[in-house]
Amino acid sequence: MPDVNLIIDGQAVSVPAGTNLVDAARTVEVAIPVFCYHPKLKPVGMCRMCLVEVYTARIDPATRQVVMGPDGLPQLALMMNKLQPACVTPVSEGMVVKTTTEKVKFAQRGVLEFLLTSHPLDCPVCDKGGECPLQNLTMQWGPEVSRFDYSDKVHFEKPIKLSDVIYLDRERCILCSRCVRFQDDIAGDEVLGFDNRGRSWEIISKSEPGFDSKFSGNTTDICPVGALTNADFRFRSRVWEVRSTPSICTHCSVGCNLSLDARHNSLMRVMPRENDDVNEIWLCDKGRMGMRFVESATRVTTPLVRQHGKLVAASWDEALTRIASNLSQIAAKGNGQVAGMMSDSASNEDLYAFRKLITDTFQSTSLDHRPGAVTDVAIDEAIITAGVGMGTSLLSLGKGTAVVVLAADVEEEAPLYVLRLRGIKNRGGVVHVVNSFATKLGTSASSDTRIKAGSEAAYANAFLKLVLEAQVASGFDRRVRNLDDVRNQLSKLLLDTLLEHAGVSRAQLQKVVDAYMAASNAIIVYGRTALQIGASVTQTMANAAMATGKCGKANNGLIALTTGANTFGAVSLGVRPGKDGAAANEFWARAEAGTLRGLLVVGLNPAANNPAAVEGLQTIAKHGFLAVQTMFMNETAELADVVLPQMAIAETDGTITNAERRVQRFRIAMAAPAAMHPTWQVCAQIAERATVATPASKNATAVLSNWNYAVTSDVTDEVAQNNPRYAGVTYTSLDLSINSWGRQANESVYYDGTSYTNTEGNGVQLKTVADDAGAALTVVYSPPVEFEPKGEFGLLMQTPVRAYNGGTWSIDSKLGSRQVAAHVLISSADASRWNISAGDAITVASPIGSSTLPAQIDKNIAAGHVLMPDVAGAPVHLALGAYTRVAIRRAE
Amino acid sequence: MSLRQTHGAEIDAILALYPHKRSAILAVLYIAQDAYGQLSDAAIREVAEILDATVTDVFEVVGFYTLLYDDKVGKVVLQVCDDVPCAFCGAEELVGTLESKLGIKSEETTADGLFTLQRVKCLAACNRAPVLQANLDYHGELSTPEKVDELLSQLRTRIANNDNISISGRKATL
Repeated sequence: MPDVNLIIDGQAVSVPAGTNLVDAARTVEVAIPVFCYHPKLKPVGMCRMCLVEVYTARIDPATRQVVMGPDGLPQLALMMNKLQPACVTPVSEGMVVKTTTEKVKFAQRGVLEFLLTSHPLDCPVCDKGGECPLQNLTMQWGPEVSRFDYSDKVHFEKPIKLSDVIYLDRERCILCSRCVRFQDDIAGDEVLGFDNRGRSWEIISKSEPGFDSKFSGNTTDICPVGALTNADFRFRSRVWEVRSTPSICTHCSVGCNLSLDARHNSLMRVMPRENDDVNEIWLCDKGRMGMRFVESATRVTTPLVRQHGKLVAASWDEALTRIASNLSQIAAKGNGQVAGMMSDSASNEDLYAFRKLITDTFQSTSLDHRPGAVTDVAIDEAIITAGVGMGTSLLSLGKGTAVVVLAADVEEEAPLYVLRLRGIKNRGGVVHVVNSFATKLGTSASSDTRIKAGSEAAYANAFLKLVLEAQVASGFDRRVRNLDDVRNQLSKLLLDTLLEHAGVSRAQLQKVVDAYMAASNAIIVYGRTALQIGASVTQTMANAAMATGKCGKANNGLIALTTGANTFGAVSLGVRPGKDGAAANEFWARAEAGTLRGLLVVGLNPAANNPAAVEGLQTIAKHGFLAVQTMFMNETAELADVVLPQMAIAETDGTITNAERRVQRFRIAMAAPAAMHPTWQVCAQIAERATVATPASKNATAVLSNWNYAVTSDVTDEVAQNNPRYAGVTYTSLDLSINSWGRQANESVYYDGTSYTNTEGNGVQLKTVADDAGAALTVVYSPPVEFEPKGEFGLLMQTPVRAYNGGTWSIDSKLGSRQVAAHVLISSADASRWNISAGDAITVASPIGSSTLPAQIDKNIAAGHVLMPDVAGAPVHLALGAYTRVAIRRAE
Repeated sequence: MSLRQTHGAEIDAILALYPHKRSAILAVLYIAQDAYGQLSDAAIREVAEILDATVTDVFEVVGFYTLLYDDKVGKVVLQVCDDVPCAFCGAEELVGTLESKLGIKSEETTADGLFTLQRVKCLAACNRAPVLQANLDYHGELSTPEKVDELLSQLRTRIANNDNISISGRKATL
């Protein structure tokens, strides 16, 4: 469609048809003041702040023709003969808009004077003061004085709690409905509304618990006054006193951009930072209010070494020397005697240095980023090959896009993706959700297919079968290898059998396949259940993407909602079992067998909820050496010979790779509570003290054994140098910024005042294998694994993720009351079969043990399906993978 | 007893009229209001459940309309117009008569729970001023205490016989 030409304040403007006047004016840096309008929300024209003069061609009522003036140009007339709200007035050809006339100024002054008649003007004690659109607009457009009597102001009881984290001050509210519209349109949690009318009009939330949304904090950002404030920041600081440091959230795989606002080395608040390719301008409550642990008084602040059976404080030098000498001695006994495990939420630099320490210094390939439980996810190679292509931007997607979400609970695993995927659907794309239990995203998806528990792989193979059949007509991607084998193997699987196993009809599946095939941009998202089952889901879905050429290009491919914030970094930088090395869940057996005697654990707590790990760790500590780097004492650290303090993300710098392989930089926001070193430096210090002779068979190069790093970016540079996948990733390239969402010329005056402009870099997306035009894409048949309940264990149990899982992040968090307590969810059918009521204690028995915990009944769960959310205190060690056969009964 | 149990057939008939359950929100709220005598928190949540609607949405509707009562009201709600034409024709006297006869002030409910008295704005029946509506039934030209007495005794009889009493006005014969 051709652009529309109009004139705004004397400047020629050319914008796409359908653009509203506020946005059109912005393109020529004309600022039209607004309150209710927000570029991320649909305009409603409620506040009347954006009134402007709009002139269009005069039409003769008799002839319906444009009246021409003496100059041969159309005569202009004031539209509707009155001022028009710019936010709901679309542009039209030849329009002339005036935003600074006396008439407009009169209206603006009037609107502001009216808004202020019932505003308490308590700016000196208001958290919004200093970044408040109402303050700013009043300064620029408002009247100097009010004709209304101050004592006539309407007063309400000062803040009422909408929830434990969001407070509403009704007398400050100007009723713009931004919060209501955000919750309805963007978050999809319709929990805010208006009550009463006129002067008693107010925002209410009647959900149980109140304001029940994982995205509630965003409403405090977009609130144009101080009506909504969050418990985490209330009365902590004036906003102009804080120093903002760009950072990245590490609570999940999204990698949201943050600003850490600190004052006097104390964290005041966490704010979202704009990045169109990641979190747009949003942040989930876990990210916003899950950073208080950093300043917890219970942090480990000094190295501890075991003396006479007790952990006592020691110097860094003593602790590091102990680790180096003990692990050196053990390493000398051969490969695998020393092993390492490190959290996949750590930075690329820390992971790289850790890998280097274990493989080069201690000559071991037993290395992992998983906690060593039976339920550990499989390492996902598919994402390296067929992950979403370079240049992917979900924000740019709408019509013509299909997203298939398989075996994932997006809101619990990676909350921000709910907003991003809903956004694709709101812009005209389709989102098909396929899962074994009901999920929040499913309720607003284009379709929500419920498959039988344990049938994810059957569904994936049926999907692939239909996709390949459909693709025959148009031919396969020429880069695909091994296709004949896969087609041959698939031909042996009967579609009807697969469908029956999954419990879906052919039509249901066909609808998803058709959408996937027809889309010009197609994305497959999978989550923890898929990753636990492994290749038969992940590789199978990757096969579909590769065979159809729906990968290796922007906006096409796979997104895995990984367990850590940097799982891709951990996998691609080698913190994974190498040749002859053991995986974490094999460590404990090796410890018992005497073939693993030294273990270095960073940022993980394998002993939590895992009796096998506890035994293995005890054996290692007894006969060998166990060193742990951690922020808080935990079950694993209690067993260690040496405990080192670990820095929090706010205290160090580095880079993180998110689920879409975007490498992003975080910086030092505050000093650590005591003298401590980043993990890469600790690794270097251990390596320097180590005395392992390099065996002649291995020829470690000079580069690899060099530990000469002065600053974090030295490690970053080495990562880029030694890992082709990270080529070109430097602090400089990561710092390039592009801001694109609808901003006014002077942004702080208009929309939010609190969503920070990103001037510190949008990050760099890494290439997948498929992004190389010449790369061969090998499809691999992966037969469906089956989980069949049988015998006394007649039910299938799954351990789904809960965002509010009571983890380390929740220490001192205002979200304390929202943490999910350990419980088991059973179907109504099973509840009546075993005569169980909600809240009853039930015993869950799996082939490896049993445990008792409270039951909840969920009418959406199919009979025979049991969910035990993976939260603090839940006996997830009973699980044996993605699905576990269990029996339940009422506890005596 | 839930609304589903007491008014199941009626509710189903209403729901059948609309393509979306949500459209039945006012009609079902009227039923709930008549059944419980007010729209309590629990009643509103019950309606939301019946309609598969968001709880907050239903609260919004109740908050918006003045004829949906979230506070307890009497069996009959007397709403007297005190707008200009009625005021000229004796609306204030009518309110005064009602207040003294019922022993309450406006916006209050009698101790026996039978009557609630409210002042409202124009009822669009100026030709019959002064006018009031009792459970949405119009009663005009109430210019003397005798006419008020007659109306009250008539209403008391109806209440006693439970004769078409609906605070939602579903039985109004306008």
